[in-house]
Amino acid sequence: MDAVSVGAMGGVGARRVPSMVAQQEYLLQGSILDDSCEQLLHKLRGFCDNCDSSPETFHDHEMVFTIRAPNGSNTSLRVRKSLDVPHNPYHLRYLGQQELGDKNRATIVRNCIDCSTSSDCVPFLQEMGFKLDYEFVLKGYMFRKGRMKVMVSKLFRVQPNAGPEALDPISQSYLVELSVNAPSGQEGIADEMKLFADSLKPLVILDKVDTRRLQM
Amino acid sequence: MDREEKALEETVDSLTHKVAELKTSLQTMIMRLESEWESISWTQLIDNYVVFSAQIQNLMKIVKKDKTPALRNRLLFPLLLSPDIDEELMKLTEGRVQSFNHDMVPDYLRTKPEPEIEAKENVIVGKACNLSADQSQKQMTSANKIVNNMTDLVKNMRDEWETETNRQNQTQTSLMNDTTALIAAITFGKGLKAMAPSMKGSAPPVAPSAAQTSGSGRPTGKAPATIKTNIKAAANIHPYQR
Repeated sequence: MDAVSVGAMGGVGARRVPSMVAQQEYLLQGSILDDSCEQLLHKLRGFCDNCDSSPETFHDHEMVFTIRAPNGSNTSLRVRKSLDVPHNPYHLRYLGQQELGDKNRATIVRNCIDCSTSSDCVPFLQEMGFKLDYEFVLKGYMFRKGRMKVMVSKLFRVQPNAGPEALDPISQSYLVELSVNAPSGQEGIADEMKLFADSLKPLVILDKVDTRRLQM
Repeated sequence: MDREEKALEETVDSLTHKVAELKTSLQTMIMRLESEWESISWTQLIDNYVVFSAQIQNLMKIVKKDKTPALRNRLLFPLLLSPDIDEELMKLTEGRVQSFNHDMVPDYLRTKPEPEIEAKENVIVGKACNLSADQSQKQMTSANKIVNNMTDLVKNMRDEWETETNRQNQTQTSLMNDTTALIAAITFGKGLKAMAPSMKGSAPPVAPSAAQTSGSGRPTGKAPATIKTNIKAAANIHPYQR
């Protein structure tokens, strides 16, 4: 399958690879209150690339589909579509479990496989047996610095009867994520990210959040 | 001999320089006191005193240097005292000292303290010598204790003060609860699946169409519910099951 990655989720621009390359996503997450978000945006605008143009906004609707295997384990796939650029392809993503291992590593590392699809993706998944687990809307800003990507976004719950246009914000904060998608085995990414994250303190504290603990 | 004289000259030169610096800083402080005495704060005065102490330390350093010849071996004594106004002296001292007479010479060329002060000091020194060893030891330890207590007190006060000001200056820009809520929502859908149980009742008849249109997002609340019930019913006869 050819993979062309664009948009807010994983892309470095149009890139055709002959086969699906399993990459790893390095992730640091944090949040910032709505009132202080302006300051963060100014700071990021200064730190990141393309400081002269206004930050790139995105408004995406993400749906998470899950299939339950007979042995009881679940597999989830994330489908993300853009609400402000409707003709953009849908983005299908698989995210593995957080890699356990190096406790000293500053960031979360997990396997990720990305692929762009048409809008037929959703009925296709459902025909395959995936069920919609949950969905949400993310609206915010994206910044890039070299191979790092920073997303400052507000998370909204999708209203069941009104569709993705009617938005109900979750909490009074913006979610801030610093991520890098890279082929596995690259060194130094975590440290680069930690350095960047430290420069944003104490405005926002980007940290490795243990998602397994959150699940309980 | 020559070497010593040269060394002496150099020492005297550097001493003169340092003393001139000290003099200028004293002058500036006196001017400040005279002109701004209403608005000056004690911190600024303390800064000035710090400057003085640093300069005096520099002076002492020069005096204690190895290159300096023993200055105490040299004597300075007046050859001629006269009550007349001396123009040269006026120029040298910028008009402060007018004549080299009997009044000012004892003060300016003094090497020992004044007689009354010397007597007082002798009394105190005598008292100290008469103290026995352990008495003096006790006094030393109590003095040390007091000084240590004072320094601890001051340090604690400073720390408290600093944290107070920091706390007031820092405004909280992020909430841990929000962070965990947002991350849990994105990763597991915590808080986003809340609609499912309540919709179970009304869902079943709409099952196939709900599954079809869930992509468009409208009956999204119903879709999870129908999906869950379908899973429960159809787990055994899953079409793709191996």
